[in-house]
Amino acid sequence: MKPRASMIILFLMPAGLFYLALFLLPAAWAFYYSAFDWSGFSDEMTFVGLGNFVKLLTTDPIFWSSFGNTLKIIFVGGFFTFTLAFLLAMLLNSGIKGKKVFRALIFLPNVIATIALTTMWSFAIFSPRSGVLPNFLKLIGWTSASKFLWMSADHVFWSMLIAIVWINVGYFVVLILAGMDRIPIEFYEAAQLDGASMIQQFFRITLPLMWDVLTVSVVLWSISAIKVFEFPFAYMGAGEDPNLYTIGVYLYIMGFGKRQPIYQLGYATAIGVLMLLLIIVVSIFVRRLMQRESLQY
Amino acid sequence: MAAISTNPNLPDQASFSTRARKARIKKLLTQIPAYLILSLWSFFTIFVIGWVIISSFKTNAEIFRTVFDLPKVWQFSNYINAWSQGNFALYLRNSVFLTSASVAGLLLISAPAAYVLSRFKFIGRNFLTITFIAGMGIPYSLVLIPLYVIMSRLGLINNLPGLILIYISLSIPFTVYILTGFFVTLPKELEDAAVIDGCNEFQTFWHVMLPLASPGLLTAGIFNAIGMWNEYQLVLVFMGNEEGRTLALGLYSLQNAMQYTGDWVGLFAGVCIIMVPTIVLYVILSEKMIAGITMGAVK
Repeated sequence: MKPRASMIILFLMPAGLFYLALFLLPAAWAFYYSAFDWSGFSDEMTFVGLGNFVKLLTTDPIFWSSFGNTLKIIFVGGFFTFTLAFLLAMLLNSGIKGKKVFRALIFLPNVIATIALTTMWSFAIFSPRSGVLPNFLKLIGWTSASKFLWMSADHVFWSMLIAIVWINVGYFVVLILAGMDRIPIEFYEAAQLDGASMIQQFFRITLPLMWDVLTVSVVLWSISAIKVFEFPFAYMGAGEDPNLYTIGVYLYIMGFGKRQPIYQLGYATAIGVLMLLLIIVVSIFVRRLMQRESLQY
Repeated sequence: MAAISTNPNLPDQASFSTRARKARIKKLLTQIPAYLILSLWSFFTIFVIGWVIISSFKTNAEIFRTVFDLPKVWQFSNYINAWSQGNFALYLRNSVFLTSASVAGLLLISAPAAYVLSRFKFIGRNFLTITFIAGMGIPYSLVLIPLYVIMSRLGLINNLPGLILIYISLSIPFTVYILTGFFVTLPKELEDAAVIDGCNEFQTFWHVMLPLASPGLLTAGIFNAIGMWNEYQLVLVFMGNEEGRTLALGLYSLQNAMQYTGDWVGLFAGVCIIMVPTIVLYVILSEKMIAGITMGAVK
């Protein structure tokens, strides 16, 4: 069929216009705003060039601690997320009954609103007096552990990371399992005949044959970890604890404030620009780092 | 194995079947750790969700006193309070309106674009496709402030139609990505047949190709609907007045006020109101959704 140009334009136009006007244009505009000192939604903007970036990177300890938290989520959170996701995916694939039910239950947190999950973790699980976890530990007689303060300044970030890992494991189990399911069962049968152990089978068959899925998963994880806002911002209810700041949260705080407006709009936008650059760099870096000859089978 | 054991000429048939049974038992024994770990993980999730649901029927005093007990009297009044005093009736109406209008508008404009991008050959097609999909890598946080300026100039801050426009625009990349994936798989012959039968290009799209892509529309629709129903960052920024709050933002402000109100059961009732619809949808459509997740990431 020979398409008419008018039809192509007509079909692309509505989505194209919305996308351009309310997504690409603001994204490009962000680079412009990031070069200004601009407080409040007034017209008074002072051009500072790269000043915002210099200030962020050299004299802002809160930015660095937020950035550090983002990195902890990417690396520490990523390590546990992928270790657990691989473990659960392999258990699901070990020929057990009820694979689909278990998979569906493990994925379940991903369909629940983040704000409901933060409420659950801060008010139903970790909460010192009424929480399920401290009360369960008390019930089994482990009194010292039941007094552990999950929400104290020292622990709050790590207890949040547990919750984030719990949610994301379900998502990556689904991806990893789909990658594993493509691998022909004969490969494993042959390996078993040759006397390969489970660990050998994992490193020699499973991992290499699903390397592309793992690469995509690591990129997806990194991007979502860099973007993360909703969970840390609402965790513990208050959202004012700098221990929980990620770059996404810090951007919001600088731009819109919490209870007191701050309105450092140029400065906040500069954080957004750094966030985008970080996403681009990490995506390229992960792909390069994990690049291998792709295996055809 | 069945063929062997029914062979009457096989002398040690009995011992063979015991060996088979032993092998089966051995397999079951080695699987015990797998069942145990998977059950523990799943149980934790069910338990926490169930605990919140049950606790939403308790009194505030019971939350602290009898953590693992059922409520003495099921307090349906918690929901009545959330509904009327807590404004959750309004929030629910806003969420339903916002989500359904956004998803409908989004599919209405994304499907034609995805159709053209995936099935027609023209100059700049690859560039346009990449441009459309590139938005998936752009964090919402980056566009918040410029978008706020644009929307306030247009007078679309603090109202639901404005938020619908934002939801639609920001969801285009993901939706076009999912839908092109579906349109590409449809056979070319159907298009040709439609043309031979006298359909024009628009009729071919509307009467033939769009219905065939309905599984894709459903997948894209569910993911966007759940995402929009659940999200609170954009509502937090673009919805300043109480009238336009969604369930997610309502729950957020309820959670924020906890240190003053101490209304635990009201909070848990709010959690249930926002969570139960998506869980029900998931129970009905989990297979389809899980298949949708792996689309694209796993070829």
